[in-house]
Amino acid sequence: MRHGLILIASLLYADQAEHFELKVRPILANRCFGCHSTAPLGGLTMTSRNGLLKGGKTGPAVVPGSINESLLVQTIEHTHEKLKMPMGASKIPDAEIAVLKQWVKDGAFWPETKPTTPTGPAYVITDQQRKFWSFQPVVKPALPRLKDSTWIKSGIDHFIAARLEEKNLKPNPAANKKDLIRRAYLDLIGLPPTFDQVQAFEEDKSPNAFAKVVDGLLASPHYGERWGRYWLDVARYADDRLDSDVDLPYPNSFRYRDWVVESFNKDLPYNHFVKAQIAGDLIEPKNGVGLGFYGLSPELTDDRVDVTTRGFLALTGACSQCHDHKFDPIPTKDFYALQGVFSSTKRAEYELAPAAEVKAWKDQDKKIQAVKQRIEAFLHQQAMMVAEALASDSPRYIRAARQVLSGGKPEGLDQETLDRWVRYLKTGPKDNKYLHGWQNENFDLSKFRQEALTVLKQRKEVDEKNLQSKATNDPDTKSTTYALPTERFFLWRDLFFSDFYGREFKQEEDGILYYGPNRGYFTTDGTVERWLEGISKKYLVDMRAELKDLQSALPPQYAYAHAIKDNATAVNERIQIGGQPERLGEEAPRAFLSILSKGDPKPFTKGSGRLELAEAIADPANPLTARVFVNRIWQHHFGEGLVKTVSNFGLMGDRPSHPELLDYLASEFVDNGWSIKKLHRQILLSATYQSSSAHNEAAFAVDPANRLLWRMNRQRLDAESMRDTLLAATGELDRKIGGKPVLLNEPANHRRSLYGYVSRRKLDGTLALFDFPNPNLSAEQRITTASPLQQLFFLNSEFLEARAQALVERLKPIRNETERLREAYRVLYSREATPKEVELGLAFLNSSKDAWRDYAQVLLNSNELVFVN
Amino acid sequence: MTRRELLQTTTAGFGTAIGLAASAMDPKTPHHTPKAKHVIFLFMNGGPSQVDTFDPKPALDKYHGQPIPGDYPKAKQEKGTLMRSPFAFKQYGQSGLPASELFAKTAQHMDDICVIRSMHCDLPAHPQAILQMNSGRIIPGFPSWGSWLTYGLGTENQNLPGFIALCAGVPDVGPQLWSSAFLPSVHQGTYVPCDELTPEKMIQHIRPRGGTIAEQRRKVELWKSLNELQLREAGKDALLEGRIQSMEVAYRMQSEALDAFDVDKEPLAIRERYGIVGQRDTSEMKIKSATRDGDFARGCLVARRLVERGVRAVQVYFGNDKPWDSHHDILVHRRLAAQADQPIAALIADLKSSGLLKETLIVIGGEFGRRPWTEVAGRINVQNGRNHNNEGFTTLLIGGGVKGGTAYGATDEFGYQSVEKKVHVNDLHATILHLMGLDHLRLTYPYSGRQFRLTDVAGNVAKEIIA
Repeated sequence: MRHGLILIASLLYADQAEHFELKVRPILANRCFGCHSTAPLGGLTMTSRNGLLKGGKTGPAVVPGSINESLLVQTIEHTHEKLKMPMGASKIPDAEIAVLKQWVKDGAFWPETKPTTPTGPAYVITDQQRKFWSFQPVVKPALPRLKDSTWIKSGIDHFIAARLEEKNLKPNPAANKKDLIRRAYLDLIGLPPTFDQVQAFEEDKSPNAFAKVVDGLLASPHYGERWGRYWLDVARYADDRLDSDVDLPYPNSFRYRDWVVESFNKDLPYNHFVKAQIAGDLIEPKNGVGLGFYGLSPELTDDRVDVTTRGFLALTGACSQCHDHKFDPIPTKDFYALQGVFSSTKRAEYELAPAAEVKAWKDQDKKIQAVKQRIEAFLHQQAMMVAEALASDSPRYIRAARQVLSGGKPEGLDQETLDRWVRYLKTGPKDNKYLHGWQNENFDLSKFRQEALTVLKQRKEVDEKNLQSKATNDPDTKSTTYALPTERFFLWRDLFFSDFYGREFKQEEDGILYYGPNRGYFTTDGTVERWLEGISKKYLVDMRAELKDLQSALPPQYAYAHAIKDNATAVNERIQIGGQPERLGEEAPRAFLSILSKGDPKPFTKGSGRLELAEAIADPANPLTARVFVNRIWQHHFGEGLVKTVSNFGLMGDRPSHPELLDYLASEFVDNGWSIKKLHRQILLSATYQSSSAHNEAAFAVDPANRLLWRMNRQRLDAESMRDTLLAATGELDRKIGGKPVLLNEPANHRRSLYGYVSRRKLDGTLALFDFPNPNLSAEQRITTASPLQQLFFLNSEFLEARAQALVERLKPIRNETERLREAYRVLYSREATPKEVELGLAFLNSSKDAWRDYAQVLLNSNELVFVN
Repeated sequence: MTRRELLQTTTAGFGTAIGLAASAMDPKTPHHTPKAKHVIFLFMNGGPSQVDTFDPKPALDKYHGQPIPGDYPKAKQEKGTLMRSPFAFKQYGQSGLPASELFAKTAQHMDDICVIRSMHCDLPAHPQAILQMNSGRIIPGFPSWGSWLTYGLGTENQNLPGFIALCAGVPDVGPQLWSSAFLPSVHQGTYVPCDELTPEKMIQHIRPRGGTIAEQRRKVELWKSLNELQLREAGKDALLEGRIQSMEVAYRMQSEALDAFDVDKEPLAIRERYGIVGQRDTSEMKIKSATRDGDFARGCLVARRLVERGVRAVQVYFGNDKPWDSHHDILVHRRLAAQADQPIAALIADLKSSGLLKETLIVIGGEFGRRPWTEVAGRINVQNGRNHNNEGFTTLLIGGGVKGGTAYGATDEFGYQSVEKKVHVNDLHATILHLMGLDHLRLTYPYSGRQFRLTDVAGNVAKEIIA
């Protein structure tokens, strides 16, 4: 490989320009531009031939044709006396040096043309990029003219019908009333209608019958539970931190979840909703709860830029972390301009209680922590004293261990300590030479005793030295950490080690003589307390009593939200070349995305710049914000967006199936004061929404994927609606709104699934099984699968069994078998059973004695319940 | 019974249009004639040391206790001194390749092992490296290798998941490691906790409740009749049909999975050969974070039973979090290897004697290796351990059409940096796919506006290791 490259480099190449772009420029870009482009360190700019000829403080970097005179060559070969490049790093590979040397020797050819891929500072957004559809201002289009407008119910329908007419397709007729009301219920509140509600709707012949249903549902507090949840997908909401080792729950994450639900329920205008999540602490009325959008971040490096650009703007801004965006006009600089906003903030509690209450709690908690520490330190200190005494007694114990292992029963020793010695010696202390040959009668026990006591003393000295070195606050702590010599350490570890010294050593077990706090492997029973007497014992008892008093006086912790706040001083990020923190490029002043700014982006000046960022996103003139959001709403109503890639409106994203309709909806949305409820209403009252989901051979032949919306898409219930529907069908659903999360796998938890504990560490099994999105990333859609593991849930889960049992109980009062069966259909499917269904059901029920629970489980499991027509 | 046979025997009239999710797992034609049909990836999470296992370095004996000679800025910055391996090496088999005492049993099969000594990856940090070893990228959000395999090849047994990840506990980073990310979620790895002792505990809802599997048949028959009534009314619909099909598979899976995951069906002698302890010693539970005796062994035995039944991709993590992360004391490796060596050797022996090793590729390795010098950073209690090393480490390939008894590539004289025939993680993935009959450049999926691959924009097949 290496020889190959040298060979290539030494060949005469026909096309110098191509050679430069393919071989030379990448090396310069990777190795040199980081410090010698816009930030010309040492006065040297290496992004042009002139720059190299002119050179820096030390003189010209390149003398074309002369390897010996070119500083560039000397520095990268490390033959220069002082300068060795790249600075502070190892030499670049020989193959690369060879390429550069050959290039210099051949005259340092530098083509006139610009590089084909923009690297470094001269990033220019082309006119063609600016003309991309999603960056054009939203203009409200006129309604298209139609040949036949009998089907039309709303403005939306004009756009749908026009495209269908182009293809000579007819939209499906309206769904029957039963399907329609079930669709509206599950769609808007995530719960099915009751039999009576369906009946009432079927009997209501007034022209606005459906509008009344829709308005009723939008006014229901359950509406926010369903639609708020879809925003939580975007916000990658979870109730714990991302950690694979331990559970780290957020005590107050639910406040953000409830705030989102409430915002939907009270129809908080979307532009305000956006601003409250980016800068809620900086706008009126002040409310920092929405800042949970960032305060509950999974803390991946690019997370906050990712969720901001994809979530609000459907741009894949995080792609620009390591390089200029390959497809969209988002230079790396834009990524760091936004990153700077967030790195100028920190996580913070947004307190929701009076200051006095907060202070009282914190003061009390501080006292508790202090006493706890005192107790721990005391126990540890006592344990070390006991350990020293036991070490001094080690000859007796080792002798006793020999007896035990040969079947004897020595007496007069501490039993647990003896047990530990036996266990330890039995496995053989491999790493500890001091006990080699302990089994032999002539083993020098007193010498061992002395070693044990000495190593304890030595370790104390090392600890002391480390404490001092820490106290001198030497920044280079690596050079001032002391340790015992390896083999001494093993002796110390085996006898005296405790987790007290630090959790990172958790693979090791405690020393066999240690009885202190934070114990590990061996210390299953005894504690140091059994050696305490008199004043020492009293001291411990007193401290524990004090702790108990303090703890019982601690009130429940004050309410707060997980938020962010600005740092005292805001700082710009510098570009990290290739996404590598050690390779810093030019500074990226905190600002909004270039493509969405008029002219050059104006640097943010107020604090971190969050408010300016929020205003730029929520600006009605922003071509993306409204389009992206109406498309999200559309997607959840129809199962697919007008733009299918709802979080990517860039070049590589989907193009809108109905661009005018998208703009129509977006402009109406802004005109209606960013009202989300009005948007729903507009969609639900269209003929498009109300069409049936039935199959149509002619339309299917032309448009099998239903992009033109000749019918409503049939959809599977998502994880939450499915669980909630089952609980509602059996009459068990607890409809309480809001509050702390509850584990979904608790059998007694009958609350809506929205209130289930959402874990980044280990997602609830049922949610995961039914395609709940990964809460570590902003999620754009609900994918639905039909895996066999899901059907196992229906066949064998305790949850389904319990629902079947509940359904049986609910139907029990009905004595007549046929009538009971008919009632089951009304309760579950809000309809009457057909004669064939009655026949099949009765045949099953009559074939065995106790078949009702099985029958109920079959009904609860049906496609009719799981899918929405 | 295969899925195809199933379709022929059931639901006449509904077998033509199959639900999307179900058919995605049908066996598919590979790009070229495959060498292997299954992969078992034994993942030594935490990062085992290459110079203490399969890449011996005499220079470490020579320079023991001294700073690394030569120009290694990172080494100088870290201030550690070179440390010889405390473990004895020996040559094995006809090939005479060396292994340390830690893997003496595995090394009995040395002539079947291809030792890649020139591995490297992008970052020396666990989460990024472990993500990369699974998905090719150091950032989350990309499909796992096993998901790519079932996406490209489907699986041979429709009664079991196609990609199964076993771990006693959860490895560092967690479920993202077997995530299908943007691939259809039918390709998601199925996580199975192998510290559980029974199939019921390993797979949610696998045991039929309230009756035998046969009795359940009546329920399923009624369910099908009722749903077919509804389907007739709805007309053609892939979603509804798909769910009816997948219920059949679920029904069959109950007997198949209960059997496949039940290691108690193996004779006691075999379980002992893997090192599965009969009765769990509860005092062992006190060890935090370390694996308990026999959990990894159980994973290995289950892995064997799964590939015997046609499962495409199986991954067994060594244990919870990152057990091989021996910062303080490399001697901890001895205890870990005692749990790893025996079951690995037993697995190779079993697959060899059944002939399955020919079509099963076993991959063994961690997310990175360890530095040849001691770690002396901040809170290290004893300076007898090694820090992470992404610049050179070892991965083993066994069976599945690789050249056994060969060492491929090399690290420098200290075992620090990969210098010869370097194999990046992307190259390893390209090679695995190649052995499975897939061209890593052609195995693509459109997402977020472009085509994605397991190997990002890199990857070269290490052709020389292929038999």
